[in-house]
Amino acid sequence: MYHYLWSLLFWYFRPLIKWFLHRTTQMCELQRICYGEPAGARRILAVEESLRNSRNPDIKTLVLYLDGVSDRREITTKSERGILEEAIRTVLVAKKINPVAHPDFAKSFGKCVELIWGYRQLCIHVEELRRTAYDADNAEHELMLLKLWNLLMPHEPLEGRVTKQWQDIGFQGDDPKTDFRGMGILGLENLVYFAQEFPNAAKHVLLHSIHPRYGYAFAIVGINLTSMALRLLRDGSAKTHVYNAVKTLPTVRVFHQFYCYLMYEFDRLWIESKPSNMMEFSTIQEKFENSIRILLNNPKTVFRVNISVDNV
Amino acid sequence: MLTTFQGLLSILRKLRSNPDRELRLLLLGLDNAGKTTLLKSLASEDITQVTPTQGFNIKSVQSEGFKLNVWDIGGAKKIRPYWRNYFENTDVLIYVVDSADIKRLDETGRELAELLMEDKLRNVPLLVYANKQDLAQAVTAAEIAEGLGLHNIKDRDWQIQSCIATEGKGVKDGLEWACKSIKKK
Repeated sequence: MYHYLWSLLFWYFRPLIKWFLHRTTQMCELQRICYGEPAGARRILAVEESLRNSRNPDIKTLVLYLDGVSDRREITTKSERGILEEAIRTVLVAKKINPVAHPDFAKSFGKCVELIWGYRQLCIHVEELRRTAYDADNAEHELMLLKLWNLLMPHEPLEGRVTKQWQDIGFQGDDPKTDFRGMGILGLENLVYFAQEFPNAAKHVLLHSIHPRYGYAFAIVGINLTSMALRLLRDGSAKTHVYNAVKTLPTVRVFHQFYCYLMYEFDRLWIESKPSNMMEFSTIQEKFENSIRILLNNPKTVFRVNISVDNV
Repeated sequence: MLTTFQGLLSILRKLRSNPDRELRLLLLGLDNAGKTTLLKSLASEDITQVTPTQGFNIKSVQSEGFKLNVWDIGGAKKIRPYWRNYFENTDVLIYVVDSADIKRLDETGRELAELLMEDKLRNVPLLVYANKQDLAQAVTAAEIAEGLGLHNIKDRDWQIQSCIATEGKGVKDGLEWACKSIKKK
């Protein structure tokens, strides 16, 4: 009920308030955001809201156009410049902003557009990887799986493609191929990225996972955390982190890094909780997800994998 | 006045005659049998993004005037020793088999035989889902029943139901049997 009343008031009074502020400050809402809000998530989220709520026909068309190019994954390092210039030009004209008098606005606004639609494009890309099922007949997939083993267990050669050894790194049975399930190749790529880019952190976590009392299945927990990372990305909670973490077009790397942070921090919480056995996973995972959501609610949040471990 | 009173009375009567009995269903089976997909399919949730179960999942579903609390416990070898922690007060044991995983039919049979010997599961009706009937290598429900030796079970009601959990096919039929077998008791 309150929500309804609020949106009704918002709908009628927003233009009025905007007109008043435009008159008194001599600037449009987008300008006020770009000058007033600190760079990063606060500014980008505000610009995003402003553009999505805009009733200016030119801006509405622009938003539709940007949605389209990002949904088709057409924003590349090559095409990006043209797309951003087009967005900036549209807003300058629609809002009658003089680019000579406001040179900083174009730059700052362009950055926001790059991050907002880069994030949208990232969601599409990650979803494609998730939908790609692990395929044992695909040489690339198989190589990636073997790579994971070699990164985690460099001193222990794999005795065969199907072997009990896979359970040492936390797969359920003798053949990991069925464990990726609904997370597809995304689950494997995340694990490989963690083991490759943060080798010491990954070893540290893997060691905890074989702890005689607090042990857990490394790979399976890893796949479940891919699912969690994806939930946070999809519902937009991860925007805070992404908008603060990158300065250029977000790629799948930023998602992998976000995942690595979750792996490392989940392991820490798990060991701290002293669980009596693996059956406590759902409870602790839920607690973990809630704490991450609270952190992401703070627009200043940006996650970094604990570097100290990786320098040891 | 009288009609209001009568109306109230009938509502009260309905409440009493429909206590919405709660049942505890235990879903077990080897890893990758399809337990979580089955659970999600029962709860009408998205089944495309299932992950291997570390620990357990639980969901409540309404069916045939019962409130079914379904417990889905992970099937990995390392988790199987914890299955026993969930035996208590089980009304129906649901055992899920991957009909296409012929290599592990023996293993799943051994696990089931052990379950049937458990004291805490004595007389508990058994529903076996012969899952993944859509896969080319899948064997029929009859062959699964044969492989698991279901026909030798004398101490409890049992039923085998072929199903395709990813499409929801056969899932409801199995559940109806489970509810009926409880009503009979």
